[in-house]
Amino acid sequence: MRRGSILRMVTIGVVAGVVTALVAVLVPWLPTSASEEMDRIEAVFWFTTVISIVIFALVTAVLVYMVVKFRASPDDESDGPPIHGHTGLEIAWTAFPAAIVTAIAIVSAVALSRNGDAGTNPVRVRVVAQQFAWKFEYPGAGVTSGRLVLPVGRSTELELGSVDVIHSFWVPEFGQKSDAVPGIKTRLVITPTRLGTFPVICTELCGLGHATMRTEVQVVQQKEFDAWLAEQKAGAGAGGALFVAQGCGACHALAAAGTDAQVGPSLDGVAKAAATAGLPVAEFVRESILEPDKVIAAGYSKGVMPGTFAGLPKDQLEALVAFVVGGKGS
Amino acid sequence: MNAHVEAAEHHHGPPVANQSSRVSATVLGMFLFIASEAMLFGSFFAAYFFVRVVNPSAEPWPPEPFHLPVFVAGVNTAILLTSSFSMHWALQSIKRGNRAGMKAGLVLTFAMGLAFLLTQMIEYAHVGFNTGDHAFASVFFGLTGLHGAHVFVGLTLLGMATVRAFRGHFTPEHHHGVELPGIYWHFVDIMWIVVYATIYLL
Amino acid sequence: MTTDTGHVTHEGPAPARGLRRVTAPGFLRAAWMAPLFFGIGLGLVVFFRRLAGWDPVFDWTIIVAVGALTTAPFGFLGGIGVFDYWLRYVSGAPTRPEDHSSHGARRWQDYFRVNTDHKVIGVQYLVTTFAFFIIGGLLAMFFRAELARPGLQYMDSQTYNGLVSAHAVLMIFLFIIPAFAGLANFVVPLMLGAPDMAFPRLNALSFWLLPIAGIMFISSFLAPGGAFAAGWTGYPSLASGAPLGQTIFNLGVQWAGASSILTALNFLVTIITMRAPGMTFWRMPLLVWANFTTSLLVVIATPFIAGSQFFVLFDRVLHTNFFNPSEGGYVLGYQHIFWFYSHPAVYIMMLPGFGIVSEVIAVFSRKPIFGYRLMALSLMGILVLGFSVWAHHMFVAGMAPWLRVPMMVSTLLIAVPTGIKIFSWLATMWEGRLHFNTPMLFALGFISMFVLGGLSGIYLGSVPIDIHASDTYFIVAHIHYVLFGGSVLTIFAGIYYWFPKMTGRMYNERLGKVHFWLTFVSFNLTFFPMHWLGLRGMPRRVSDYADRFGDLNLVITISSFALGASTVVFFYNIITSWARGPIAVSNPWRSMTLEWQVSSPPPIFNFDEIPQVVGGPYEYGVPGARHAVMSGGAAGALQETHP
Repeated sequence: MRRGSILRMVTIGVVAGVVTALVAVLVPWLPTSASEEMDRIEAVFWFTTVISIVIFALVTAVLVYMVVKFRASPDDESDGPPIHGHTGLEIAWTAFPAAIVTAIAIVSAVALSRNGDAGTNPVRVRVVAQQFAWKFEYPGAGVTSGRLVLPVGRSTELELGSVDVIHSFWVPEFGQKSDAVPGIKTRLVITPTRLGTFPVICTELCGLGHATMRTEVQVVQQKEFDAWLAEQKAGAGAGGALFVAQGCGACHALAAAGTDAQVGPSLDGVAKAAATAGLPVAEFVRESILEPDKVIAAGYSKGVMPGTFAGLPKDQLEALVAFVVGGKGS
Repeated sequence: MNAHVEAAEHHHGPPVANQSSRVSATVLGMFLFIASEAMLFGSFFAAYFFVRVVNPSAEPWPPEPFHLPVFVAGVNTAILLTSSFSMHWALQSIKRGNRAGMKAGLVLTFAMGLAFLLTQMIEYAHVGFNTGDHAFASVFFGLTGLHGAHVFVGLTLLGMATVRAFRGHFTPEHHHGVELPGIYWHFVDIMWIVVYATIYLL
Repeated sequence: MTTDTGHVTHEGPAPARGLRRVTAPGFLRAAWMAPLFFGIGLGLVVFFRRLAGWDPVFDWTIIVAVGALTTAPFGFLGGIGVFDYWLRYVSGAPTRPEDHSSHGARRWQDYFRVNTDHKVIGVQYLVTTFAFFIIGGLLAMFFRAELARPGLQYMDSQTYNGLVSAHAVLMIFLFIIPAFAGLANFVVPLMLGAPDMAFPRLNALSFWLLPIAGIMFISSFLAPGGAFAAGWTGYPSLASGAPLGQTIFNLGVQWAGASSILTALNFLVTIITMRAPGMTFWRMPLLVWANFTTSLLVVIATPFIAGSQFFVLFDRVLHTNFFNPSEGGYVLGYQHIFWFYSHPAVYIMMLPGFGIVSEVIAVFSRKPIFGYRLMALSLMGILVLGFSVWAHHMFVAGMAPWLRVPMMVSTLLIAVPTGIKIFSWLATMWEGRLHFNTPMLFALGFISMFVLGGLSGIYLGSVPIDIHASDTYFIVAHIHYVLFGGSVLTIFAGIYYWFPKMTGRMYNERLGKVHFWLTFVSFNLTFFPMHWLGLRGMPRRVSDYADRFGDLNLVITISSFALGASTVVFFYNIITSWARGPIAVSNPWRSMTLEWQVSSPPPIFNFDEIPQVVGGPYEYGVPGARHAVMSGGAAGALQETHP
């Protein structure tokens, strides 16, 4: 190969590499990390990206150069030189990629191992997935909630399960994802690094309500976390706490509960809905909890709200109804 | 298959293909088919593995309160094993020109295969559990049922071979129609030994 | 009709009249045999249920599963005549003298019958698979219309899930896998110097199994509860309790799988036992190597998806508990069994394409394939390694955590033989005489897009990255870069390349180039942004998404419509060229492989005499090199061509 051709290919390669690198760096490919695990995932991601840019630049350089340099005119009937192979080159392009992928494997295995380490005293949370809502249990404190609240700077070990079909728990800013599978318990470690509220997304097709099966995770200081737990524990039984514990707030907005989810109809308008259905408000709310598919608000679907709340003990049901009715706007 | 070659000779048809391997095409085809069937059994054994070994709530095998008729199935195993010998005898007979031996061997093999299948069905009726009872039953009926379906296919092939044998087909030079069902039958037999060992003995 | 040499007619028996019209093999006979066999299935179900004392005796789910989805198709197949010869044969009745009337295409009607000519079967496959390509593509455009804006505008989520599931199933089982089978069906026996495949009647049966599967999948849209909607992957426990459409999926897969396996058996036996004299394995064209390894994959792997669907079917219909955890079942077992096939399936969907690219690049660079032996060995390497990586589809599934690391290693290692191929193709082009005809454009488009798809695959091979990116649009991007940018582009390359051989006419080169560029640009506009969407938080298989993704989804939707429109150029070109394109010579590409040494289209029996292979298939640039010596001239005296 002549020096001129090498120089041209290097130039094309550098241009391709620079353009690709700019695209890699200037476009925000990943969400802003909010966990140590995501930090490690990002590190592996960028390691792989550097390698990919080099490979892409190499292939582009050769391909573009050849397409221009060796183009034959349509009436050129000659053949090229009968080069059948080159052992050295073939060994090189077997050995180098093997070395590169080995490096990626090692870097990944280290990150994976660290991402599975929950440390000495993790917060323990049980995640219960069902069609189409999330529930989080804090067994240490005896608390159940429809929202996930975690302390910053400390590892939480999630134990996931499902009561019906396979779901999957994912918070993009945390990077960590795990399926929730009926019949087995799966495990995930999250160590949040910054405060904020982030979406919890279901990432395994679970039926009609898959796209709407979302809730939130809120990362707070350890002190606020302890306070929240205590508040949840103390308020257990009261309608407001039930509203959160049963996960109603995960899907329904209600000013009195401070929730603004839009998966299901807003409960601030429940009086109007009851009037349309021709029922007293309390009766309408009770019926909607016991038989969710009986009356469907415009723009919403059947089969999304779980029917499991019909199993609530009667006193809890009435507390919940009272809370929703009392908390309505007029 | 002879008619084809003769026809090609007296009016133009396809040129005779080159034989680039000493292995006969139909025998190779049958072995490859058996390979894919063995893989199908493999998927059923994988299901057995998941139910028995991997499942976090795995129980003793068979789990309470199920029981397996190991002895009856053992007798069935002996029947099937013997039928492989009679099948082998049938093939060896026609290779040596012994038509009576071939016919007898085929009839015997068919009869024993039928006996196996009927015994299996009676066992199903008396085994004391149904398809809906626990994953153990699913795996049991799945594996034995899949095998039974293959016995049925084998019996069909044997039936065809027997009909043709009695109609005067097959010679010491041309007997693929006995050899191929034979190969399939041996596969069915070997697969039964694996199924029996896995489900009943291990 | 007799030729001047007085040979026998090949027109077959006189057209049937009267009662024979409905008892002679054909669609008319199939029209009554299919319902009859449905009735037999229904009868069997009712008989056994009454015998066993199970209520209700008329369980319609089981009756549909047995009658409509199992026995009726056999009635159809029997009606069109695929079993006729065999049934006579095994009953010991004397066989009719072979008059070759069901072999070869002499009129267009021959393409609609049971035909034993591999060239006819190849065309039947290609036309059928492209029909399903259109349907699968339309399904995609429907759900892309829904995804154009946030919120639900045109359909409910269940319908959406059904469209997405059916799109994938049709594209995988009714387009990519059988389209490659169809191309190979036409080309491989010619390339080997064989008069046909080893088992021509089996070949015909393999083809006719395919429309059965396709019609089943599409009919699920009419089932109560709608089309199967658990994704093309059909995981329990969602699939366990889904409506009837899911059962249709369970059984449709079996018919498609049977078609695939039988074809693969045929290829393996043909390649092993029917090569022309002098054609050692190391003198076979790489397309043959590619189909050889693909067929091994099919034979070994496909039964596993059959098993997985049987288990779900049994759980649904017989109330077994394979995947019911409350009765000892193991939900993840399905995924292991399913992916043990479905990972090799992606190689089934790519290796034949690798073979096509090798043919095209060698011919349009006028150079031997660089590193031919390593190219063949890398195909075998992918075959072997391909069986060891299935659980990389399950990194977040909750399986035993330790299993993830060995799966990661084998997954990343598969990049090595794949990389060898990419580098070898580039080296083949080096210092060649490059001609950028349409097949070459598609081959080069493939190389660039497959590099991108392969690189995104490397990202996904790393477990930590995959934990973040799995089940998001990053996966959708990766899938389409390797399946569309990979497989589909090679299918187009192959169709354009062998079009003159198959039809005897040239396609329009200018339209071909327009098709390529429209496709290439709109494809990238559609799928590249999905990498970003996935990493930033958009999951897959969702009918709705966070508002902030709205604008990009609109861009993607519009680009996808452009991609759909670009196929119109292709179909217009193919149809008009087939009807009245310029007549093609036998070897417009000046290729050395055997299929180009006979007329375009080839004589009905391919060769007058089997050629003698004397060298490798890619000896361009070697003065006086020959791949084969043909008998007394390529256009032999007694050849027959179809109109």
